[in-house]
Amino acid sequence: MLFLKNKSTSLDVSDHTVIIPSICVGNAAQLACDLLIASKQLHRIGSLSHPALIPVYGPSAYQHEPNEKVSSCELYEGAEDKLLVVQFRAPWIARHTASFQSQLVELLKSARRVVILSGSFGFERRVIEESPWAYRASANFKEAHAAQLGNSELIKWKEHTGEAIYGGGNALQLFKAFDEQKVPVMLLFRYLLEGDNSTDASLIVRELNELCEDFLQLRSSGDGSFKLTVPKSWNLLFGNDVTELLF
Amino acid sequence: MSCPGFGELNIPSSRAFWDDCDEDEFENITPAEKLELKFEAEWADSKTPFESDLLVVIEGSQISHFGTSVLAKDTKRVCSIPAKSSSLHWNPENKQLLAILEDDLTMSGEVTELLLPFAKVAKKVVTLTLKAKVEFKSEEIQLYSDDIAIVRGVGATEKGITELEAPNFIAGVAAGVATWRDQQELPISSFVIYTDKIPLDSTAAQPVLKLLQSVGVACTSSYIPPRKDSSYLYM
Repeated sequence: MLFLKNKSTSLDVSDHTVIIPSICVGNAAQLACDLLIASKQLHRIGSLSHPALIPVYGPSAYQHEPNEKVSSCELYEGAEDKLLVVQFRAPWIARHTASFQSQLVELLKSARRVVILSGSFGFERRVIEESPWAYRASANFKEAHAAQLGNSELIKWKEHTGEAIYGGGNALQLFKAFDEQKVPVMLLFRYLLEGDNSTDASLIVRELNELCEDFLQLRSSGDGSFKLTVPKSWNLLFGNDVTELLF
Repeated sequence: MSCPGFGELNIPSSRAFWDDCDEDEFENITPAEKLELKFEAEWADSKTPFESDLLVVIEGSQISHFGTSVLAKDTKRVCSIPAKSSSLHWNPENKQLLAILEDDLTMSGEVTELLLPFAKVAKKVVTLTLKAKVEFKSEEIQLYSDDIAIVRGVGATEKGITELEAPNFIAGVAAGVATWRDQQELPISSFVIYTDKIPLDSTAAQPVLKLLQSVGVACTSSYIPPRKDSSYLYM
């Protein structure tokens, strides 16, 4: 079920770049989307609900929109940059996923391009010297971004050709579903391990910026350094402090 | 003497699916059958949503006994809800509809959709989620070490109720109903109680009863938990 704040019943993303996280190892892709939303101060335009999504409700996750309430699937837009970021806050229910995925693809199939972010288990990288990044892109995405993807100085990702991305959740299935609809789509993932994945999240955002600097524009002017904002929902990422009574 | 599992490499499954599905079996999963509310004989023919003055959604682990004995007095059972022993009750006198929901996150999205018709026509909705105190996150957690319960509201306007702060949140059917009412800009009072005793006993129930009474929910003033058989253990 789509809910938009402007009460519209359809979503126009025809000239938008859509970024979707998969729920992957270490939740790194969702954390990366958190960084994107908080850093670019994107505005919430609506949300999605479906039996595949465990409902959540609570205080706002971001400082720049203090009156919002979190929900399982949120839609954020940067109108100037023509950017739409989907954020998931709950794992999916596997037996409903196919239905939700087809509805999601139907909703976003008019997008200019779709980027799916994900992660895979670090131990799945068989050659340690290889890049920790891998990607998969549809033919029309490769064509549109030939200059960036062909620039070996800039992009050092390995092209993934396997049948599964272990730890990547539904990323590959979602990629295939968009590809079937002829939507220019790229799946970008990093090999990583469970733990404090906040660094992986910022690395994913930086890497994405290499490809999409024209609309992400996260590099602050001048020295080329990044300015990322950490959302307040990242407080106590590993739970409360250990009580002193234990010692 | 053997040690099962010793030396085995346990590869973690992905976080993607709550019901623990791996990436290589995802495409072979059979789609879920549609869940339905099982109405009692009295309501089997009508099935139209009750236009309640107040819809109370109470959700938590092992909540059924507390809900039925404290809140469901003078009510008629309308239907069972397909999440463990969850049920819906109607009090025609005060037009109060009560959903008692056992914690079952796997079905929560679908159960939410089943209850939305009732939430749509209710004049006022109160949701209450019971969670274990250990799930409450705070930078000043030591302040709450002696508390029986920590009561918080989400967007609640009731006097004396502290607002829930990130990164805390609620999940489940109560969260789904609250989200929908909030999005539709309909009145919603949503609360969460982090209690140090699940299932509730007579002491831990007191903050819950106090909150329910303060927001106008008809309930008894005390709770007697079910008697447990002796374990015959010497302590």
